[in-house]
Amino acid sequence: MARNLKLVAEKITREFEVKGGRITALYNVNLSAWEGEVLGVLGPNGAGKTTLIRILSTLLLPTSGSAKVMGFDVVKEPEKVREVINMASGAERSGYDFISARKNLWFFSQLYGIPGDEANKRIEELAEELSFKEYLDSKFYSLSTGYRQRVTIARAFINRPSVVFLDEPTIGLDVMTAMSIREFLKRKARDERITILLATHNMPEVEAICNRVAIIDKGRIIAEGTPEALKNTLTLCAYAIEIKPIPVNLGFLESVEGIKGYTMKADSQRGTATLQVVLEDEELLETVLFFLSKNGIRVLNTWRKEPTLEEVFVSYVGRGFGERESES
Amino acid sequence: MKPGIWLRVMKGRMMVRIWSQFGEYLWIISNIGFPLLTSLSFALLYSSVGLKSFTGFAVLGGIMVSFWGNVIWSMASQFNWDKQEGLFEIYLVSPAPMSAILIGMSLGGIIGTAPSAVLVGISGYLLFRPEFSVSSVPALILTFVLTLASIYALGMMLSSLYLAYGREAETLNEVIQEPISMLSGVYFPSTGSLSPFPVAVQVLASLIPLTVGMDALRKVLFFSGDNSSVALNEFTLLVMAVILLLLSLRILKILEEKGRRDGTLTVKIS
Repeated sequence: MARNLKLVAEKITREFEVKGGRITALYNVNLSAWEGEVLGVLGPNGAGKTTLIRILSTLLLPTSGSAKVMGFDVVKEPEKVREVINMASGAERSGYDFISARKNLWFFSQLYGIPGDEANKRIEELAEELSFKEYLDSKFYSLSTGYRQRVTIARAFINRPSVVFLDEPTIGLDVMTAMSIREFLKRKARDERITILLATHNMPEVEAICNRVAIIDKGRIIAEGTPEALKNTLTLCAYAIEIKPIPVNLGFLESVEGIKGYTMKADSQRGTATLQVVLEDEELLETVLFFLSKNGIRVLNTWRKEPTLEEVFVSYVGRGFGERESES
Repeated sequence: MKPGIWLRVMKGRMMVRIWSQFGEYLWIISNIGFPLLTSLSFALLYSSVGLKSFTGFAVLGGIMVSFWGNVIWSMASQFNWDKQEGLFEIYLVSPAPMSAILIGMSLGGIIGTAPSAVLVGISGYLLFRPEFSVSSVPALILTFVLTLASIYALGMMLSSLYLAYGREAETLNEVIQEPISMLSGVYFPSTGSLSPFPVAVQVLASLIPLTVGMDALRKVLFFSGDNSSVALNEFTLLVMAVILLLLSLRILKILEEKGRRDGTLTVKIS
């Protein structure tokens, strides 16, 4: 089957005026997505994912560059783009509190001019697929966060869009709800050939459902490919080192030649931390352990890690998502 | 644009407003409180000073204040609230025409407020039995419809204008509510020979659609005759409604373009 390109972004740059100057949220971003593809845009908070989605969904103009969705220019033909897309965000409220989920969805279907019978049929189908049929007639305010998000996702597919933009769609959800939404998204892309652009900082989510992933940091796409291909390009070694106490500063690691990057996750309850390091050579592990010990940090456990997208990110940027977010 | 989308969007937005208002019966009751009590206060005052014929003004005022309250507190704040909640961008990302959304919001507001307004009217009538003589029922209906059209068009314009603001839009609402209620003479004639205001204030008051509407309704309900004067009021209301609707659409367009440039129509810009 011939593959059709549904979304193309070329050299998109977006600057914002802020107090004391301008910040560049996106810099020369190139991106493309094919029919039926789930393209992940993976990056820490503040990397520019939301800005990218807002530009592609016609909510924001790029400072320079161009983008087309289904062949329509997002700057010059926003009305045409809006007929073929939809979007949803994990942060949005996405409904009127005092009416039911069914009535909310019916209203949103009317924004696309969908005839009543067809709209009702779609609402039933989507509720079935996302497992919230028994809550369709509950008032929106009475739904739990998880069910609200299912309704939000249903809304994003109510008009049978060709391209859907999702911004952190599973943020703050329990594991089961997140899994159910991911399965739904996979099915929609596979069976209905809908192109999905998924902006997230959730790496397991990207690995679970994305056909391709573009890693973004500080407004630049730093790597792009299938999750497997990206991990395979990582010829470096990744190690996880459990340490105690939680170090305040790991700056001393930066002086060690051959460390491509590191990230740390603290477990304050246990008073331990897991340090992930990406090394050019496995022999460097001894050096890292030596430096830790020299700085009064006890090593509890060490193991070699299968490379994940986080290691890919660390190898490019030198830091993990957590550190990047606290920097911005 | 898909054929029929305008009507579907309009109906959809209207139904959301109606369902929301009727979904909580307590709201219908609570919406009666303020207009009914204020209207009763004025009616009692008029009765006590021997102005029995004025009690009708107070009851009419109570009915119209129900709608005015809906314009100020639901219509005017709606888009700003939608923006704060992240719902406004759902409108923007869809092909829905904004004019249909605004008119749907208005019609929904009128239908949703009607039960409260009717209850205020019935209560006022039963308590004070005000005297009125309708010179022409079609003129009364036309005047009432045009008054609602013009005040809701003002609500549409405020709704569009308030998009440019954050939470301070509510404060702005509070600031304008009382002066407009007073100037527009909801419970007493603020223009003409019975007005307590100097001419300059009356001219200023005449720029408010509610003033023109209340004046016309009083003429039709309590001062039969003078059809040409009522027709002038009706024409003014029609012109005001059209201008305000066009103005609100223009403001929305300008703000949408500005929002796309500056990222100000969305909840966050990161």
